Amino acid sequence: MIARMVKVEIVGPGGRILEVLSLLRELGVFQIEHDSTAFIPAQDQDKVRSHILDEKTLAERIFYEELKARIDELFGCLPQLETRESYLDPGSVLESVTQTVQKHSATCREWSRKRETLQQELAELSRYRDFLRALEPHLEGLLLESGLEFIGVTIKEPDALEELMRVISRLTQNRYQILTAKGADDTLIALITLEKGVAQKVRAVLGEQHVPELTSPAALAAVPFSEKSAFLRQRVEQATAELVSIETEQAAFARRWGAIYGRVRSWLEVRLALLRNVAYLHQTGMCFFIHGWTPEQDLARLEQEAYRLFGGQVVVVKKQILEQDLDQVPVTLRNPPFFRPFELFARLLPLPRYASIDPTPFIAIGFPLFFGMILGDIGYGSILLAVALCLARRARSDTVRDAARILLVCSIYAIVFGIIYGEMFGELGTRLLGLKDGHLVERRHAIVPMLYFALSIGVAHVTLGLLLGVVTALKRKTGREALFKLVNIAVILGLAVLFLSLMEEVPRFLAMPLTITLLLLIPALFFSGGVLAPLELMKNVGNIISYARIMAIGLASVLLASVANDFAGMTGNIITGVLLALLFHVINLVLGVFSPAIHALRLHYVEFYSKFVVPGGKKFEPLKK
Amino acid sequence: MEKAYLALAAALAVGLPAIATAWAQSRIGAAGAGTIAEKPELTGTVIIMLAIPETMVILGFVVAVIILAM
Repeated sequence: MIARMVKVEIVGPGGRILEVLSLLRELGVFQIEHDSTAFIPAQDQDKVRSHILDEKTLAERIFYEELKARIDELFGCLPQLETRESYLDPGSVLESVTQTVQKHSATCREWSRKRETLQQELAELSRYRDFLRALEPHLEGLLLESGLEFIGVTIKEPDALEELMRVISRLTQNRYQILTAKGADDTLIALITLEKGVAQKVRAVLGEQHVPELTSPAALAAVPFSEKSAFLRQRVEQATAELVSIETEQAAFARRWGAIYGRVRSWLEVRLALLRNVAYLHQTGMCFFIHGWTPEQDLARLEQEAYRLFGGQVVVVKKQILEQDLDQVPVTLRNPPFFRPFELFARLLPLPRYASIDPTPFIAIGFPLFFGMILGDIGYGSILLAVALCLARRARSDTVRDAARILLVCSIYAIVFGIIYGEMFGELGTRLLGLKDGHLVERRHAIVPMLYFALSIGVAHVTLGLLLGVVTALKRKTGREALFKLVNIAVILGLAVLFLSLMEEVPRFLAMPLTITLLLLIPALFFSGGVLAPLELMKNVGNIISYARIMAIGLASVLLASVANDFAGMTGNIITGVLLALLFHVINLVLGVFSPAIHALRLHYVEFYSKFVVPGGKKFEPLKK
Repeated sequence: MEKAYLALAAALAVGLPAIATAWAQSRIGAAGAGTIAEKPELTGTVIIMLAIPETMVILGFVVAVIILAM
């Protein structure tokens, strides 16, 4: 449900403003209202003004922001390491930190620059090493003496090689040699050996044909081709050692100073958060005013703490929430433990407004029920139960744990409905375990009764939604909307009984008075809902028919399970049959989790929520650590 | 012969809305995937949008059941 909120004004002497903000942050139950026009009475508007920072506090804020920016920059250059915890008082070391941070930043920046350069060089050397490694076996017997030019190229399209050889052959009068090998990424690497005189021309042609030349890294540029390989290995070792040395220095520095700088940064963040919030406060000549919201159940604690720390100097005043404040009140959901995991579904949609109803308890009851009604199988339910228990035990994140709890409840409902339908892996349970005599409904054959059952659920659910809509409309003081929803309920119930009367499920003589009543309700419908009222009514009827999916998807699920069992029997081989049946059942189980979940969710989101949830609530975001 | 016509009518009652639903969902699904990539907070809205056309095939199914039960 939506927690009841209290509109609060905190008043105190100007000098204690930061202490009060610090307390609010510590308690984590108070949200400052940024637009507090509604909090200040019209006659007092000229006496109260926005809080303006004095020169000293402003200078303090600028100093903290600059220092934090420098520390952030320093951390940007350091590796992310687990550091010890520092117990230094940040306030006392602030001056020393201000002096050292610049020097340390410069050192760390230099390390980062060197590290980047070395990493780039190593990447370049690695590419060139691949080139040399691919060609090395072919280099024996190649004339590597001076006077010749070597051009390395990579060719992505094998067909381009022929064309390239034709062109080089023409340019060099056949005085060239080409060696090819496959590179690491399956591209073709080629080494062209030719006379120095024609090298320039060949390079120009390569450029025209978009064949990239593998240029030698800067460190190897002056080294003769025959010595490149050995020199490269040497340079890689040297650069790697330099890189390791820099990384060791960085790690040592991070371990030594990281904790201190980290502690100072956290302290600065707290101070800056408080100073930033000061901008949303108000003041008179002597006092400050903090306007905001707190959950009703936390108000007493807030008052007690304020009294304990500040005596009577700081006062917490509860103010009345007026009708015009309703859209401003922040929303926080507080549900009993059983319903809480289902807030996961509420979080997928925008929050409901304060003067609306939290749909979580209704989805917590309806969702597993619909899921169970659709899946309804002891076997599948038991597997899901086991999965849910494992997930709940091993889950680390809250979201996964909530999802596991939801699955747990859903699987229990699936087992219960499996018993009602007499299904265990389709009709396998009926055959093997003799569930045939125990079940209440056989879904595969009772199609029309199941359809009526699903539609009845629809009537009940949509009517409940409309009733909740009446409550919401009354809370929001929109009487005509409440009347429209009431008329809709009357018409839907009237139509349902009329239908049953025509089907002779209830006495036939009711049909005439019901028809007259429905005709009489038409003016009320137009009066309360306007000209589009019939459209809205048809939408509601359509919503009810939409519940037929409970029967339809359930039927599809049970028929798929039957197909799985029949396939197993048709193979004629017990092992193949069992494997095939297992495969089909796994597919059906996966479908059996997703399909009922999506459809049960949709029935709530589209058919049910639309009747009473007013979206657009502001999330309650208290000041906290 | 009448049975064959009824079966054909039932098949059309489910088949045609199924094609319409599939077409609508393909368009909504593609747009929805793009929406979620940019604004993950709209996941709930996208699920609703994606599930809305399914009503067509469900209604078609109900009509088919009624036809076959005749």
